[in-house]
Amino acid sequence: MSAGAMLTVWLCRDDAPWSRSIRFYLFLGGIVVLLRVIFRVVFNLADANQDVFISLPSISIDLGLGNSLHLLGIVSVISIQAALVDGFQLAAIILSIGMASSLANPRKLLRATPGALYEIATAVSIAINLAPQLIASLKLVRRARGLRGHSKGIKSLTGIIIPVLEDTIEQSMQLAASMSARGFGRKGNRTQLQLQLIRVATFLTLTFLTVGVAMLLFSPAEQYLDLTVIVAGIVLAGFTLKLSSSRTIRTTYIIQRWQIADLVIVVSGVLILLAAFNGVFSK
Amino acid sequence: MIEIKNLTFSYLNAEGKPKAEVPQLNRVNLTIEPGEFVLVCGPTGSGKSTFLKTLNGLAPNFTGGVITGELLINSVNYLGAEPHELSHLVGYVNQQPEGAFVADIVLDEIVYSAEQLAISREQIDSDVERLSKMLGLEELLKSPLSTLSGGQQQRVAIAAALISGAKVLLLDEPTSALDLEGATEVLNLLQRLAREEGVSVLLAEHRISRVIGSVDSVIVVHGDGSVTMGKPAEQFNDARFAPPIIELGQQLGWNPLAMTTKQAQGLWKQAPSAFKEKQLNQPGDRVLEVIDLEVSFGSISAVKKTSLTLFGNQITALMGENGSGKTSLCWAIQGSGTRTSGSVKTNSGDPKNLSVQDRLSITTMVPQRAADLLFLNSLADELQESDTLENVPAGTTANLFQKLAGRIDSSIHPRDLSAGQQLSLVLSLQLVKNAPVLILDEPTRGLDYAAKRALAKQLDQLRDAKRSVLLATHDIEFVAMVADRVLVLKDGVIVEDASPLSVLASGQELASQIAEVTNQAGLITIGQVLN
Repeated sequence: MSAGAMLTVWLCRDDAPWSRSIRFYLFLGGIVVLLRVIFRVVFNLADANQDVFISLPSISIDLGLGNSLHLLGIVSVISIQAALVDGFQLAAIILSIGMASSLANPRKLLRATPGALYEIATAVSIAINLAPQLIASLKLVRRARGLRGHSKGIKSLTGIIIPVLEDTIEQSMQLAASMSARGFGRKGNRTQLQLQLIRVATFLTLTFLTVGVAMLLFSPAEQYLDLTVIVAGIVLAGFTLKLSSSRTIRTTYIIQRWQIADLVIVVSGVLILLAAFNGVFSK
Repeated sequence: MIEIKNLTFSYLNAEGKPKAEVPQLNRVNLTIEPGEFVLVCGPTGSGKSTFLKTLNGLAPNFTGGVITGELLINSVNYLGAEPHELSHLVGYVNQQPEGAFVADIVLDEIVYSAEQLAISREQIDSDVERLSKMLGLEELLKSPLSTLSGGQQQRVAIAAALISGAKVLLLDEPTSALDLEGATEVLNLLQRLAREEGVSVLLAEHRISRVIGSVDSVIVVHGDGSVTMGKPAEQFNDARFAPPIIELGQQLGWNPLAMTTKQAQGLWKQAPSAFKEKQLNQPGDRVLEVIDLEVSFGSISAVKKTSLTLFGNQITALMGENGSGKTSLCWAIQGSGTRTSGSVKTNSGDPKNLSVQDRLSITTMVPQRAADLLFLNSLADELQESDTLENVPAGTTANLFQKLAGRIDSSIHPRDLSAGQQLSLVLSLQLVKNAPVLILDEPTRGLDYAAKRALAKQLDQLRDAKRSVLLATHDIEFVAMVADRVLVLKDGVIVEDASPLSVLASGQELASQIAEVTNQAGLITIGQVLN
């Protein structure tokens, strides 16, 4: 799956600034796998019946809580395998998020969102935009800091972090101001009641969808209840979209056509989702 | 069309009280007619931007602060309305269009506002056609915004602001990041918009001399809360921001003052004044030598095989259009920027191979984004940090800063300093390092004439202290004032290395205003004129 994610990134990337942030996520994924293995070796539960991977001197620390704590010792192959599998799972999730953020063009995302979901869409797109923007700004600030000389201690850190954060926030504010100055967020001719209704519907939709997915993942026993909640969420979503995308509020002038790549992505996404469902239900 | 009555605006401090005793804008009254082309000017930090932002609701909605009075547009009071409720009436373009773009493709960017306002597809079609024709964007509609030049980007931003049908256009220093050609292009266009389309254009601008001849009236934001509006000739009594051509007229007692180069040429011919020769410093010791330096980013070559020598006791200006490689060359010479090949020779070796601290003892630099060097919470902390860092007696940096910027409350947050004060602060942090070479990248961006004169004086003193200054800039008048030598960079190659007296002379591509007006060999800056 990670390989798939990497391949997609490699095929679809362009020269936009946010596209380069995948390296950062790769690095993060690597760290996670490494940490998992290190922890497994250090906080080792020795089991004599398993194949030995590496044998290290055992350290016992008595914390005065009855049992003493054993560190290191004989590490079995199986525990290392388990650590690697765990680590790679987490790394795959991190990479997938990284892929989304390095490929998804936040501005296109915002453009494609229907009317009243704007408030949420803005928050999401700013959040997605944040990491790549931080990285871009980090580069500039680090170069500039080289002109100031090396500060000692905590100041060397704040010297990078503060200008980067200020810069990122300023950029986001500038984009928000520009969007507002050009009509973004207009209520148009909707009444206060309609606006309230849309807000409530949006909130309910999101709640149903999140709770449904969470139930499916954490308590697979009551599968029909989970499915009901998710289907209700999807129906609500349809209703909310209908309610909020009234033509009198906005014109869609630029129509984004479906391309083969989009189709492949959606189909493979649905297939993976079905496979996951299958796995959950067959337990 | 726009009528402002008793408009008062104050920023608030953390406790929710007005920041200063006098409001930023105090009881402003003025009227702007349809099709009027208005220049908004005033000293650095006087509140020009704030004034423009009050006209479309960005202030106070995005800046914070309190506003009172009346803002009548077509006789409806919009005081305090959100910017999106005004977007069909007022268009807004800011200094850096790339930070404000909401799309990636030119066409998407232009129609954004029309989509938000639910304008019909047919109407959008015809508006796009009309605007792209007028602004010369027909060939570019499908291009990615990132591939456009600064001037083209600014034209896209103007089209995007006008597609909503707005008849008022606010522009906050739209040409400050553009080279001469790009700036002239944008300014000519604004004049046509006002004349032919009846759009009221309000333009905040530092390059007063380029626009003063074509505007109908001038609004001055004085900085003490007062804002006045009048004919161009009546508005320039304040020398802090009077452009060279007006200053020349005032010095020679012209009445009425000349507003355009042509008028000034006529008046000068009638009674030319005597002038003194410009003193160019003789180069001192060779302090830095650049050998076959190349910089490329991926497939783009920014600087091509360049060699040059910098001497002590000399101010060298590095000029050239946007994208000609000035910034890349500065960073590469300083030693912390990208270099593809080539080397830099100094007495202590190549700055690139030295540690950060050792490098800074040879080459220091004030980058374009000077504020990136500031990171502490108060001016006092920044000054003190600099003393500790350089192992100099406490107060050394503070003394330097005071010489540059005057007395300033040291508890202020560095981000609250004006552009000119921030520049002075970063400059003093760099001067303390006492390096023989100082590089400045576009230091006059956002400075008024008074602040520029102060900077020029400081650079003069540095030169007298045998330092070598490399100054990358678009600012012709500033180069005329300070430079001993001019390098012109074009497409990554140095095409000219000569005296300012020949590069900035009348008839040249980079002619200074005074040279153009007087057409006299050896006369390029107002400081030379005697009366």
